[in-house]
Amino acid sequence: MRKPVSLIVAGLGLTLAACGGSSGGGGTPQSGTPITIGVSVSLTGDFSGDGKALVQGYDLWAQDINAKGGLLGHKVTMKYVDDASSTQQVVTNYQNLITQDKVALVFGPFSSLLTIPASTVVDRYGYAFPEPAGGGPQVFSRGLHSIFFVQPAAVEDNLVSFTKWLLSLPAGQRPATAAYATQNDPFTQPQVDKAKSLLEAGGITTASYKVYGTEPIDWTPLAQQVVNSNADVVILGTQEPDGVAFIKVFQQQHYNPKALVETTGPDQGKDFADKVGAANTEGVMVPAGWWSSAKAAGNDKFTSEFVAKYGGAAGDISADAAEAYSVGQVVDQASAKANSIDNAALISALHSGTYQTIQGPMAFDSTGKPNGSSFLVQWQNGLTVPVYPSSAAVAQPEFPKPNFAA
Amino acid sequence: MRRVNRTSAVKGAALAVGLALAIVLPFVAPDPATTNIAVFTVMYVGLATAWNIMGGYTGYISLGHAAFFGFGAYALGLLLSHFGIEAGFQPFFFVPVAGVLTAVIAVAIGWIALRTRAATFVIVTIACMFMLQLLAENLVGLTGGGSGLSFPVPRWSGDFFNIPYYFAMLVLALLGLAVSWWIRGSKFGLGLLAIRDDEDKALAVGVPTRAFKLTAFVISAMLVGMIGAVYGYYVTYIYPQFVIDPLVGISMVLMVFLGGMGTIWGPVLGAVILEPAQLWLAYNFGASRLYLVFYAAVFLLVILLLPRGIVPSVMDLINRWRRHRAAGPTGRVSDTRDAPRAVPRGAEAP
Amino acid sequence: MTLVLEAVLLGILTGGVYALMASGLTLIFGVMRIINVGHGALVVLGAYLSFALVRSLNIDPLLSLVVTMPAMFALGALLQVVFIRPLKTDREALSVLVTYALALGIEGLLGYIFTSNYVQLKAWYETASFPIFGFRIAYVYVIGFGLCLAILAAMFWMLYRTSFGGAIRATMLNRTAAQLIGVNVDRVSALAFGVGVATAAAGGVVFGITNSFNPGSHYDLISRLLTIIVLGGLGSLRGAVVGALIMLITTDVTAVLISPVWASFAFFVILIAVLIVRPQGLYGIRVRDRA
Repeated sequence: MRKPVSLIVAGLGLTLAACGGSSGGGGTPQSGTPITIGVSVSLTGDFSGDGKALVQGYDLWAQDINAKGGLLGHKVTMKYVDDASSTQQVVTNYQNLITQDKVALVFGPFSSLLTIPASTVVDRYGYAFPEPAGGGPQVFSRGLHSIFFVQPAAVEDNLVSFTKWLLSLPAGQRPATAAYATQNDPFTQPQVDKAKSLLEAGGITTASYKVYGTEPIDWTPLAQQVVNSNADVVILGTQEPDGVAFIKVFQQQHYNPKALVETTGPDQGKDFADKVGAANTEGVMVPAGWWSSAKAAGNDKFTSEFVAKYGGAAGDISADAAEAYSVGQVVDQASAKANSIDNAALISALHSGTYQTIQGPMAFDSTGKPNGSSFLVQWQNGLTVPVYPSSAAVAQPEFPKPNFAA
Repeated sequence: MRRVNRTSAVKGAALAVGLALAIVLPFVAPDPATTNIAVFTVMYVGLATAWNIMGGYTGYISLGHAAFFGFGAYALGLLLSHFGIEAGFQPFFFVPVAGVLTAVIAVAIGWIALRTRAATFVIVTIACMFMLQLLAENLVGLTGGGSGLSFPVPRWSGDFFNIPYYFAMLVLALLGLAVSWWIRGSKFGLGLLAIRDDEDKALAVGVPTRAFKLTAFVISAMLVGMIGAVYGYYVTYIYPQFVIDPLVGISMVLMVFLGGMGTIWGPVLGAVILEPAQLWLAYNFGASRLYLVFYAAVFLLVILLLPRGIVPSVMDLINRWRRHRAAGPTGRVSDTRDAPRAVPRGAEAP
Repeated sequence: MTLVLEAVLLGILTGGVYALMASGLTLIFGVMRIINVGHGALVVLGAYLSFALVRSLNIDPLLSLVVTMPAMFALGALLQVVFIRPLKTDREALSVLVTYALALGIEGLLGYIFTSNYVQLKAWYETASFPIFGFRIAYVYVIGFGLCLAILAAMFWMLYRTSFGGAIRATMLNRTAAQLIGVNVDRVSALAFGVGVATAAAGGVVFGITNSFNPGSHYDLISRLLTIIVLGGLGSLRGAVVGALIMLITTDVTAVLISPVWASFAFFVILIAVLIVRPQGLYGIRVRDRA
């Protein structure tokens, strides 16, 4: 069905090429031919909320790049397939996209859980795999050179900013004890464990450390244990539902730590505020790689276009969408640098240089790991603002955290 | 007499053709998208056949077989990393070892579960499955916990990669079919069918029900474990909640139901129909998000319209047609003479 | 020590919800001898119905029960007539598949309408708590527990004090004999299924207030409910209540004494231990398979 159309366009493209368009490398499409970029996203199943945000980000990027004339002259069409958040399906999807639909490029799916099996498939076909959401340690330890995690920092370094800030507090103010609770999930646990080792090395005693499964329905006993530890500071490796549940229990039990940071939850904007109660958000912290009014390449344009296309407020844009958009930006710059959209050329281009994205500048090492760090965001007066490090900060960090509403 | 020979000859020929097709498939359609679907389809043929050995022959419905699938995968992964086996063809030779380990755990689980009957048994198998999943998630030092377990990745080209896995799955599926066929024709199999029909009477007549049930359970689990091992190696990375997955367990059961419980070819038919359909549907319609509703609807239609499965229903039709022919010019067909009630349902030759 | 006491108390309070949900499930099994693996999905459906009502009418979630319970009762009876009654052969095995298909269908539909984001029922008093024995208990747990007790009591009253209840119990004991004495077992089955689903709706509301949920939450729920009724003995309401309390107290105490990750595992260990000694569960009766 697509064949006759692309033949016609190819014919046109050849004519255009003769007028001085850019040329592709060996097996790449002729200049001007539209290309399809294939992505497996979780449109159903556990990750479908994030999947939808990824699609929004990818679509917005495709719209912007086509307005500029396409990726190195090639108009981009995105093709999305559903992996139902399942390993079997994601492996099948990328094989189908690459060998059956013969897409020119592929972008990554949601979460390390799906990215890792997909990465071996993509790698053996020689495709580049820039991906927005798989940053757990195992992603980089498999000896693959085609994968690129498009976020400023690898997952395990997410809480480093928080630990640096805490340890930078003057001796009189610095907390003495910390409590940790985390899901045993490749996203949350590596961050919390690294933060724990850094804080212990800095002299903050661990009052409680609990790891829990990804499945418990009732987080009350776990939250209760954190409450009972009476720690000064609480570090939680949560996803959104447990992040909210812990805060509710803290409020019920009248427990008020001086600082509280969660790995996910407080970054869900209005949704988070509605669930915990607007008054309770004050002072809660979360690490972030992107923030809606940060000064980063193309960010203003991104936020205003996003709001225009999808509605809502800039503060409610999910970080997933921003990460997806950055994937596109990185591929755009790499293809311009390599002057080709050939996968091999992109892979070698991406291993060097710095790329400007709406999440800030980033560079990838030989395993595709980014070498930057995320910043710390805090809820202040009903809005999230970056507070640390000072290069990214828009406001001072609030410490100690005000008490929860009684 | 001659008719029987003709039927056997036809069956034999069909079998040979089917086998030949299965073997040349990857060379005729080498496109990885196709061979990938072939890998998963043959995987389910094996799984359904193995499940049928327990569920179809003894009537004990296990909904926790996914536990063995995942256990086999973890067993192989841990063996490979413990012994430092390189990626390539070598890991395939460790699959039987994973199978033996799965058999050991099946003895333990079976001994406990088979103390119960019918509905309780079903639920106990589900409970055991969740227990294994919890163990996989929480014994982090051993299994990697929620972060998953990695398999060595062979450096084969994209075009070749799927083929060894396809043949590994095919070997296991054929093994399962052979075992299933052998059991069917043996006294052991007769005992199992007797258990399905009326366990207390079978016990009274002298069938060693406990030993037979446990043996069938362990054989079934071992096959499933080996298939799980190859699966883990194929997707190269496993997580507790994805590899010990209730959906895998339910799919096996549904395929056997669709095809016909207790028959040999029923599970094959069920797998060959359902798995490619499911993968194709998810790829093309997943985006519309109603994919689950659609799947459930198909599920329900199958169960309500073909409660005994395809193979027995088709066999019924053929038998009725034969009887009609045998009835002669008067057209009178006597129902009481045929379909002897004493023969357990599904025991007719497939 | 206070920690353990707190865990026990919390276990009792949350056990009430599971007791309510499990009693519906075990009733359905007792009357029709089918395992309704879709029960968890029905609980979630009830929770979402309440969620929709609360969201649009801004009422207290418990008030929504006035609408959801009758609605789910009717739905349950309808499901039984359309999907369960036609199953003539191989009832137990087929019913598992049919009810699982229903669960999938419900999950898909809910996912389509509400997306997979986690939601929770909001009650204005949800974070209010009162102090007891040196720790604090949230009011929602006590209110939820009270509601579950009330509905359970109503169920017991219906079963033992009304003729309809008598018909149900007769059908549970011996279906054929019940028919012989004039009980319309088909109608009783449909109505009993309706009762079971209505209790699921009630359980759903209390569950939805104290937990966040999404369409996929039914898997975890049904695995817990099934193990509870097996421990208690299939078909025994008393068993369902006792089983639920044992499960929740064990998991909460283990979470405190040992570690949260082993909490569910401890319960399974107890289940296995009981089944080795008493395969029919605590209050179950050994029945001949094909009576």
